[in-house]
Amino acid sequence: MNPVFLLGSTVALVASVMMVTRRNPVYASVWLLGAFLCMAVVFLTLHASFLAFIHILVYTGAILVLFVFVIMLLNLKDDEFGEEHPRGVRLSVAGMCTALFGVLVFPILREPSLWEPGVVTAEKLADLGSVESVGNVMFLKFGLQFELVSVLIMVAMFGAMVLAKKRVQG
Amino acid sequence: MIAPYLLFSIALFCVGAYGVLARRNLLIILMSLELMLNGVNVSLVAFAARFGAAAPAGQVFVLLVMAVAAAEVAVGLAIVISLFRTKQTVDTHTLRSMGG
Repeated sequence: MNPVFLLGSTVALVASVMMVTRRNPVYASVWLLGAFLCMAVVFLTLHASFLAFIHILVYTGAILVLFVFVIMLLNLKDDEFGEEHPRGVRLSVAGMCTALFGVLVFPILREPSLWEPGVVTAEKLADLGSVESVGNVMFLKFGLQFELVSVLIMVAMFGAMVLAKKRVQG
Repeated sequence: MIAPYLLFSIALFCVGAYGVLARRNLLIILMSLELMLNGVNVSLVAFAARFGAAAPAGQVFVLLVMAVAAAEVAVGLAIVISLFRTKQTVDTHTLRSMGG
């Protein structure tokens, strides 16, 4: 197996586990940053170079910065993080998620075609994630979806502005 | 061989699900949601690498999912800000006024 993938996925999983267990959202967002960067490495091992680039740009450059900005804006003190569930509840939810993992993994272990090496040639794979091939599919096959997503983002932008603005009296 | 990538994506999804279900801090719940979306993205890219050699439609879906995630975070964080302004808390268990 690809050692780059092994390293990237291990670090991403460790970082995401650290993220969901941190009490302070600032530390959680720093761990999330590590997980996002490692996920971009995983995309690179899947020959999705354009996607890895966009992933870093959107997730760490836009989404995570938005999170950190909101954390700064709320300016939470140590006693404002809120209570967490008792340990027993958290452990049982963790057990439930482990069971979910087992249920989802089971069919993959049973399917031999997923464990075979791909039939695609190397030069075809190298071209798979280029801007040209992704753009071709996006604008020739999924033009409508692309336009709809742009409408969605515009509506979300207006919605965020309306929701977050201060009510002015009078 | 894409099975390890699928295992990785399922593991990410389950860690994110734990964060959404077991945490009470709204900000961490939103971050865990991002993690779940990312887990699905990894599996889409893996399937595109294995079965989509003619046209990487899976990668286009990932781009669309990223746009939806960005929109979701913008609206979600705006809701967090306006909630914090009225209730002075980010703990989901104190936000029960619609819970009956």
